[in-house]
Amino acid sequence: MIEAPFVDGIVRFIFVAIVITAVFLISARSLPFLLQTYRLQSLLLAALAVAIFFAEGSTVLLWIAALTVASKVLVIPYFIGEIQERISIRRDLEFRYLAPASSILVSIALIVGVYLSLGNILSPVHADAEPIFFFGAVIGISLMLMGMLVLFSRKKAITKVLGYLSMENGVLIFGICVTELPFIMDVMIMIDLIILVLLTTILTVGIDSTIEVYEEKIRRYSLWNSLWKAREDAP
Amino acid sequence: MILAYLAIALAAIIGFVLIPSRRVLHILAAAESAAALVVTGVIAMTVPLPAADLGPGTGIFFADHLGVFLAAVSGIVFFFASLYAGGYTERLMETGELNPNNLRLFYSGLALLQVFVTLAFFANNLGVFWILAELTTVFSALLVAILAARENIDAALKYIFIVSAAMLFSFAGIIFLFETARSTLGEGTLAWTTLMKHASSLSPTLLFAAFVLLFIGFAAKSGIFPFHTWLPEAHSKAPSAVSAVLSGVLLNIGIYGIIRVFALVHQTAFAEKVSLLLIVAGLLSVGIAAFAMLYQKNLKKLIAFSSIENMGLLLIGIGVASPLAIFWAVVHMLAHSLTKASLFLSAGILHRQYRSHDPGADDRIVDVFDLQPSAAWGVIIGTLAIAGVPPFPIFFTKFFLLVQVATVSPWLLVATLLLILVAVAGMARFLIREFSARSGPGAPRPTRYVVPLGMRLSFVLLIVIIAVQGLWFPAEEVSVITDIVAELGFGGV
Repeated sequence: MIEAPFVDGIVRFIFVAIVITAVFLISARSLPFLLQTYRLQSLLLAALAVAIFFAEGSTVLLWIAALTVASKVLVIPYFIGEIQERISIRRDLEFRYLAPASSILVSIALIVGVYLSLGNILSPVHADAEPIFFFGAVIGISLMLMGMLVLFSRKKAITKVLGYLSMENGVLIFGICVTELPFIMDVMIMIDLIILVLLTTILTVGIDSTIEVYEEKIRRYSLWNSLWKAREDAP
Repeated sequence: MILAYLAIALAAIIGFVLIPSRRVLHILAAAESAAALVVTGVIAMTVPLPAADLGPGTGIFFADHLGVFLAAVSGIVFFFASLYAGGYTERLMETGELNPNNLRLFYSGLALLQVFVTLAFFANNLGVFWILAELTTVFSALLVAILAARENIDAALKYIFIVSAAMLFSFAGIIFLFETARSTLGEGTLAWTTLMKHASSLSPTLLFAAFVLLFIGFAAKSGIFPFHTWLPEAHSKAPSAVSAVLSGVLLNIGIYGIIRVFALVHQTAFAEKVSLLLIVAGLLSVGIAAFAMLYQKNLKKLIAFSSIENMGLLLIGIGVASPLAIFWAVVHMLAHSLTKASLFLSAGILHRQYRSHDPGADDRIVDVFDLQPSAAWGVIIGTLAIAGVPPFPIFFTKFFLLVQVATVSPWLLVATLLLILVAVAGMARFLIREFSARSGPGAPRPTRYVVPLGMRLSFVLLIVIIAVQGLWFPAEEVSVITDIVAELGFGGV
């Protein structure tokens, strides 16, 4: 075991770093940069699991860290990167509802709101709650909400995928800090996540690019439309 | 027992991959869903209910009356949808909307969806239930997107993003639930039967917080306001066989999750607050859907909004939480699933007849009684049934649910009733306007689409089942549903 205050400091540092990656995810425009940010965020999450392992000594955390590195630092970002290359979009400039500056303000408000409401819910039950437990819950839920901001304020499907993945990171932080779920749950979520990412990114190819199939279909549509038009024009 | 479902699906998928003949593929798909339905029947007959362990690990899958009941209802919907899919996909391939290479993927997706849905209804562990519910979202989105048209992909992505994002909140709720159980019972558990036993001793505040988080995800899964925006898109753009499953089966998963978790929190001091939450969400859903239906110009979208209305009504019924309200809510789930499936299947025939390829364009229905008389009557009878005209079962479920609503507050009754009437007016308006439209003299008439027997048979049989259910409510069924209410801890009927 390593001294508690030392681990505590590291955990706090990781929390801050995670919030910074979330801010980048909300505001950055370059897709490759967004992907690297997500990769870094997942790496920080794995580091968090390792750090808490040194404080609590439960080996499940090490498995979670390994699984996170394998899936979220290596496999999923690699796959999304390949798709990005193929659809050759490098920037996502469109923001709906919220521009980057105001969404950063909104996320600060979110963190404060989550802090206050979780304080209300948890304090009567966990009066002796350790700070890691509480801050982990706050950071986790805040990261979820910030991921949701990305999901709803970005227009490109591929950025939305990253927003969703970042939400999922938030849930995992919440899970690591608040309680210790059976490891099988983590594995199954990861499988679910990989299927989901595969499907959404494949669909993204369909929506963010023009394939010949689509052009052929569009031609057929206009044919059909002209048929209707002929009917309308008929006396 | 639980492995039988997986074995059937696996065998079918191997068949889908290997068999070259399309005709055999269609038959195999129908046979696969029939076999799964038979397994559910065997479980219902042979396993001692409730809380029989179905394996494979201890306590992961169990059967109680609610699970078996909903698994059977989904089995019926899946069977008729697969029967319908044969002729329907043939036509999709003829018109070039479905790539023939994707047919195997379509049937494999449908088979896997049925397995995951059924397993979800048998999951005792709420975490496992969450994962299975997530997988049903993924696979049904795949089936929505299978037509590979831009608007289908749009609808599927919207579906995944909204429902999965909301389901992540549910997962946070599950973590909360686990921690709540751990702090009280010493050991964390997600087994519903164990939680049910100790629910009254769990911390009410934490249980309430867990419920609210879980509710967000399950409400999105059932198309409850304000998470309903994906539903009209996905249900109307999907191939009709899939729409029937989406509306008749997948919406039930969210409601099922809500009922299970509500049964937990109902035992605590927060019961009334939770009821209020459910009633408000339900009323808003009914309202939003009713007014959207009033101005609907697309048949499948109209039916989709009607699903939102019915889910809202179910939430109101569950929120009332009297034994009779729960009883009729469960019957309503059955009646809604079968009626909605028959409606989507007959509407699918009209959609084939008048398919408008222009994305976002409305259906242009003309001369419907000359071109598709049986499907037109299917839609009319289905609409009457879903509107709650006697003797269809929804008349009875709506009537008795409203009677229960009246015991809570007369104002709530008036509001619900008015909104239901608006919804009925919307449906009537649509049918009268569209079904009386005639093509002008001399205008070229669309050629008649010849409906294959399987397609016609599936919606006609569903209507027969609904009609029989409305006229005849066997004592065995009453006792099963009474058991459901008792097992959920809402007391005797």
